[in-house]
Parts: sequence; C-alpha cells; structure tokens
Amino acid sequence: MESRILKPTLAIYVALFILFLYGPFVVLTIISFQQGPEGGPQFPIIEWSTYWYRHIFGLTPPSRIAPLPFGEALLRSLVLALMTMVVSTVLGVMSAQAFRRKFKGSGVVFYLIVLGMMVPGVLTGLGTSLLANNVIGIERHWYTTAFATHVAYTFPFAFLVMLAILNRFDASVEEAAWSLGVDPWTTFRKVTFPLIFPGVLSAMLFAFTLSLDEFPRTLFASGRDQTLPLAIYGTFSVEIHPNIFAFGVLTTLFSFALLSVYGILMAMSVRRAKKMAMQEDIA
Amino acid sequence: MDTSVFRLDGVTKRYGDLVALDNATLEAGANEYISFLGPSGSGKTTLLRVIAGFEAPESGRVYFNGKDITNLPAHERGIGFVFQNFALFPHLTVIQNVGFGLTHGKSGLSAAEIERRSLEMIELVGLSGMEGRGVDQISGGQRQRVALARTLTMHPKVVLLDEPLGALDANLRSRMRNELRAIRERLGVTFVHVTGSETEALAMGDRIVVLDRGRIIQVGTPDEVYGAPASPEVAHFLNRFNLFDGTLSGGTFNGVFGAVPSPQAIPSDRSVYAVRYDRMQVLPVSAKVSGPSFRARFVASEYLGSSMMNFFEAEDGHVIEMEHHLSLGAAQEFEPRQDYLLTWNPDQAIVFGREASR
Amino acid sequence: MTSQTTIQKRQATTTRWLLLPGIIWMSLFLVVPILMIVYVSFWTQTTFNISPDPTLASWKQFFSSDTYTGSLWTTIRIWLIVLACTFIVGYPTALFVGLFVKSQTLSTVLLVICVIPFWTSFLIRVLAWRPMLGKEGAINIVLMKLGIIQQPIEVLLFTELSVIIGMTQIYCVFMVGPIAFMLSRIDRNIIEAARDLGAGFGRIFWKIIFPLSLPGVVVGAIFVSVMVLGEFATSGALSGRKVNLLGNIIVTQVGSLKWAMASVVGVILTVVMGIVIAGFLRIVDLKREL
Repeated sequence: MESRILKPTLAIYVALFILFLYGPFVVLTIISFQQGPEGGPQFPIIEWSTYWYRHIFGLTPPSRIAPLPFGEALLRSLVLALMTMVVSTVLGVMSAQAFRRKFKGSGVVFYLIVLGMMVPGVLTGLGTSLLANNVIGIERHWYTTAFATHVAYTFPFAFLVMLAILNRFDASVEEAAWSLGVDPWTTFRKVTFPLIFPGVLSAMLFAFTLSLDEFPRTLFASGRDQTLPLAIYGTFSVEIHPNIFAFGVLTTLFSFALLSVYGILMAMSVRRAKKMAMQEDIA
Repeated sequence: MDTSVFRLDGVTKRYGDLVALDNATLEAGANEYISFLGPSGSGKTTLLRVIAGFEAPESGRVYFNGKDITNLPAHERGIGFVFQNFALFPHLTVIQNVGFGLTHGKSGLSAAEIERRSLEMIELVGLSGMEGRGVDQISGGQRQRVALARTLTMHPKVVLLDEPLGALDANLRSRMRNELRAIRERLGVTFVHVTGSETEALAMGDRIVVLDRGRIIQVGTPDEVYGAPASPEVAHFLNRFNLFDGTLSGGTFNGVFGAVPSPQAIPSDRSVYAVRYDRMQVLPVSAKVSGPSFRARFVASEYLGSSMMNFFEAEDGHVIEMEHHLSLGAAQEFEPRQDYLLTWNPDQAIVFGREASR
Repeated sequence: MTSQTTIQKRQATTTRWLLLPGIIWMSLFLVVPILMIVYVSFWTQTTFNISPDPTLASWKQFFSSDTYTGSLWTTIRIWLIVLACTFIVGYPTALFVGLFVKSQTLSTVLLVICVIPFWTSFLIRVLAWRPMLGKEGAINIVLMKLGIIQQPIEVLLFTELSVIIGMTQIYCVFMVGPIAFMLSRIDRNIIEAARDLGAGFGRIFWKIIFPLSLPGVVVGAIFVSVMVLGEFATSGALSGRKVNLLGNIIVTQVGSLKWAMASVVGVILTVVMGIVIAGFLRIVDLKREL
C-alpha cells in the first residue's frame, strides 16, 4: 500500500543519485571540448572544439601549454599494474587455497591479510619509505618499494575473491582425481585451476585496476619516476587545463571498451553453452 | 598370509565431540559386493572416505592388499571411488573424463593406448558414440556410467561407491542396480556400496554391513541379516519387521498381544519382539487362535508389483504392516475401517531382550 | 600415536608453505612499515635528517601546536560528516536496489551503473568537481538560469563544503553496495507476514528491515571510514589548502623531510583508525555475518 507511493519516490531518488554520481563526469566531458589553447577548465564554453584531444596526442601547434607528461608514466603504471596483478593473484590463490583447511591461527592470518586493505595508503606509503630510506638505505623505485606496497594493498582483494570462489567449490572433483591416482599438484593444475579460473580472472581484474589507480602509497614509495596517478597529481599544483579532462574522458572510454569486449565475450560463451545444451535436448 | 583385499582394524574417527566412527573392524575379500547400510549420520560415508584416504582416522589401521595404508595419501592407494553427485570434471569431455587417471597419473601409457582403453571402457558401460560430448550434455544415468567408467579404467581392486544411485530417479535406479552387479561380476572387482536404502542393500550385496552411530552392528549375507537381525536397530533399518515393545522375563515376552514363550531371545538392551511383514497373518475377529494375537483396524493397502502391502492400525496407534507375496496366491481382500485379528507363528518371530544376556 | 597423524601432518605442511609467502609479504611490507612509523616518531629530527636518538620532541611539538591538533579535529569532523552524508545519501538507494527492485537484472544493472565511475581515475574524478562547484561552475549556472539565485554561491568551491561534497560522491557507493547486499538477503516472506499482521511500512522498516541491514551499514561505514580518514588528495584539490587533514600534514611533512613529525601524525592516524574500526566491529560481529 505504502509502496505505491514509496517505490516511485525512491525511484526518483535513485535517478537523482545517479545524476549526483555522474554529474561531475558529464561536466568534465563538456569542458574537455573547450576551445583551445586559450579556453580554461571552466564555463562558459567559448567554442566547441576537439583541440584538447589533439593536444594530448601532440597534434596541435606548439603553444605555451606543454603536452601532458603522461606517456612514460602510463607505461610505468601499466607495467606496475601487470606485475602487481600477477603477484597478488598468485598470493591470493595460494592463501585462499590454504584457508580451505582449518588450521591454528587462521584468524590471525586472516586479519593480517585483510589489514592490507584496511590500513590507509598514506600509512603504508610512509612506513615503507621510512623503512627503505632510513633502515635499509635503498633508493625507492616504482618497481621495488611501490610495487611492494601495491601488492600489500591488492593481495587482500585477490584473497577475498578467491576465498569466496573456493568456499563454493565442490571438493569432490578433487577427491575424484586423487582416487584416480593423480597427485594433488597435478589435480590442482588440471582440475581445480581450470574450474576456479573465472574467479582468478576477477581477482586479476581487481588487482590490476586497483594498482593502476593507486595513488597515496605510490606517492611516498615510488621515488623519482612517476606513475600515471602521480603525473596527474603533479598537474594539480600547476595550472589545470582542459587537456587533463580530455585525458580523463579517453581513459574512461578505453576501460569501457575493454569491459564491453569482456562482457560480450562472456555473454557469447554463455549463449553458446545454452544453445549446445538445447540441441542435445532436441536430439 | 592375508587373503583379504582390505581390512579395517579398530578405526575411530571424531569430528569434535561427535564420534563418526567407533572402533570399526571389518574384512573384505576379493571379488565381493559389500553394502554398507545405515541411516544418515551412522558413519557409513565416513568409513568409505577413510578407506579411500580422504579422511585420516584418529586411531586404528587400514590395510589394503595386506599392506598398511593408513598413512598413504589417497592418490597412492589405488582404490576407486564413485561419488553420489558423480563429481565428473565439468570442463572435460566424456572420453577425457574416462581417460583422466591414465593421462595425468603414473600410468606411463601412450596417448593412443590411453584412448584405446578409454574407448573400451566407454563401450563396456554402454556409452559408445558419446565420448566427444561434454559431461553437462548427457543425462543423469549417463553421468553415472561415466563416473563408473572413469574409475574402472584404473583397474582398481576395490571400488567404493557412495550412494551411487541416490541421484537417479526410481526407474533408472533399478536398471543401474542390475548393471552395477553385471559390470562388477565381469571385472571381478570388489565393490563397496554405501546406501541408506535397505532394498538396495538386500538386493545387491553379497554381504551387508549394518552401521549405527559410528559402530558396525552386524555383518552378514542378506539372508543372514534378514533372517536373524542382530539387534532391534538392525531389524528397524531393514524396514521389514513389525517391532513391538514389551518386557521379557522368565523366558516369556509380554506385549500387547499377550504373553508368548520366548526361550531363545537375542541379547539386547531393549526388549523388542520382531515379526517379519510377510510372516503376519490376518484373520476375522471371530477366529480362534492359540498363539499371540491382537486386534487392529485395516487402513490401506499398496500394490508393490511382486507383493501386496497391507497397513493396519492397532488400538495404541501403532501401524502394523503385512506383506503378501503374490507368488503364494491371490491377495486377501480387507474391508476398510474393519477390525481384524493379527497373528503369526511364534517360532518365526525374533525376540530381543536383556534377560537372555545373562 | 604420532605416526597415525602423518596425513594430517603432511596437510599441515602444505598449508604452511601455501601461507608463508603471503605472511612474509604482509609482515615485511605492511606490519614492519607500521611499526617503523611508531619507532621513527621517537627519533630526533634535525633540519634535513633524522637520527635514531630517542626523544619525545616531535610528540610534544604535535600537541603544543594548534595547526597539528587542529588537523586532528578537522579529520574527525570531516570523517563524521562524510560518514553521515554517505549513509543518508546511500541508504535510500540501497533500499531501492536491494529491496524494492524485484528483477535481478535491473538491480544488477543499477549496481553496475554505480560502479562505472570507478573506471575513471580517482584523481580526475576529484578534479571534475572544480568546474562543477566553482563560481562559474555548472551548479551556479544552472541555479541562476532557473532563477533560484541571483548571485553565484561562492562557498561551493575551495571550502570545507566542497571537500565534503566531493568525498560524499566518491565514497557513497561503498555504502550502497554492502547495504544493498544485506537487504537483498532479507526473506521477503517476513515482510509480507508483518504486512499481513497490519504493520505499516515505518514499523516494518524500524523493526525488521533496518536491523537486518545493520551489518551492511557497518561494513560500508568501515570502508568509508578507512578511506576518508586516510584522505589527503580530495581535501588538497578541493579546499584550496584550507582544509588540512592528518593525511595532508603527513604529505607536507614528508615533503619538507620532517620524517619524525610525519611519523607522529601517522601514529595518531593509526590510533584513530584502530579505535574507529574496533568500535564498528563491536556493533556487529562480522565473522558471524559473512
């Protein structure tokens, strides 16, 4: 009875909520089409143009505004994210696999791992750089100290994803493999891993995206060479131009494209499986 | 020299406070079909998993081919296992499932030889032509066969089957029952079959092992167990006996049916009088009988193919079942809600009681 | 007796080897660094360097400076306000997604819509609020066009308000997700039964729906708290350096090589965080709920 009023009200509220979530991005997109190079990152739009998009790729005549120094930073970020993804996922799968069996101190180990996503990045970053600087006395780099903090941050996510997957995993297929004389390691490679692979993929996706966008840990722990978020942060202190907005739009579109491809592939494989099952029924 | 295929010696297993297996001792010979019968929670599946090596017992030893395998991991035991849910490898085809153990184990066979043996086994279980299919594209009964073929390609001396027919529908179950027996006889393998169904146990096992609350309470051929259940619990699981509570004293059992001389009672904590369903006789109320008897009201009957089950309700609400084998002649007709006199030959009854234990 | 548990021993060994790399990694790069912060907070600070001579100087300096203690209170204030805002903004959305939407597909679609903004870089999402809130920003333009205001509102950007708005937008999804999840697990029959007994929506909400969603609220609150308490980028970018959180102090101190002071602030942040998380975990036993 109440829900006849309540539900539409809530629906309108949710629409406003989505507007709130997307508002800044819409504005950002609009401003990215600001005229250049004189147009600033604000309204009104002097004239619609794709100047700032061309500016990113160095297709505009040189002006007082330097191109974004993002090329190398982007490359570093991608490599770092890949490294982090691999190590986090391996650690996550291993630990989650261990957690399938009850063991003493499992509570402590669980919280030790989950701590990695609970402790703010500033603290891990600060602590790691203190350790590197003042105790061990090594230089900080994105591929050493920053990498260590990235894994400490994304490993808990990979671990929790794998834990959820393995919780639902039916162990009897593994036992079946053992009873066929196949040793546990081969069983893991040939049975367990192929079956949990979708979970491994999402753990990888998690680790990759988190690492790619990681900022506070990297800020302290990465030393001289910047990663992409650091390069963006660098533009904060200097004057902001619409090119950074154009860059935001491009990266978002890029991740969208990747995600859509992933989604389409998934949908296709599901449909094919269904089709095959149906053909069998008819036959 | 140990002639048994496997032997359990005082196997005990606990889960926290719960005793899943309590000092289980058992010997199984070669080329035997053994059924483990018991209600859920009786420890029958745990026992099977201990033999397979999936669970380690707290104490006791497991011997296989005369060798102590208690500490051997599952994959080094060479004992086959068929799961209730079949546990097929869902990402592999039928032939890949069947050849899995040969391909990834220590067989050392060539791919061609593995394929030949897998196809042979697929043919044996009657799945020829399906080897290329995914295991989610075949029916429940076919999955059951794949599970069996997958185990049998490894030529195990013992195959453990955990309620293998539980996931199938009634029709398929009776067909698979016969097929399981036939396949076993052809290969000369020992089958250990866990079941909660007394029909299955009686029909399939060369020997029946009855379990209750973690203990083995009777071992024997179906005839032995059926003819002389070792305890009221066994009689109860067999689901073939009308059980009456009462008291036993001075060689006489006192129950609702009066006092019956019972000189040969089987030792038991509870005093129970058991009469097989097919030993019950039904007479008009007016009939004169010399033996034990009591009045009960006819409730319903059910046709079971080879026999007719009749249900009566005693005055205390107790349901009495009477089975009439149709091979012995046409079934009697009873009037619903009419009282009848139930009786039996006391020599054919089985009496359990404490008194006799002295 | 010992030989009988060989299989279990072997399994225990496997478990240990599987866990070891993760434990070592987390100890070296998470626990040791945090202990390091505590340790260094007692070191002696010279102009450009620190030495491990124990002293309380940095601690004394922190508590005698209004800037530093002020940043502690600012952090707590902003955290409480943002926590309240994310809850108020997020709960109705979660209620709709988790309870009112009957189609599984629609609720998934709505959740995906909520998550999509995360594929834009965090810092660009923060930055996007500037043209939104500024004096000539989108909000002012829209409000003036609608005739609601005559003069642009200037307090929107580079104030505490802009930091709160920005953080609320960025973090409210972390509140929506867990709450919606808990709500979707509520057995609809309970609600139907209560309705049949004549209970109004208000009563049903306070007696059934809200208590059952509480674990989700706590999980969401933990997420939001952890992120807001450690924040410095949003406050740095949207407040024009007017709002200094503990995180901002750490960044500036490290920037001027004042490692000891940065560590003191780090320890305080850790303590605050510990108290907050422990407090939330007291309300709801997470291990039992998950």
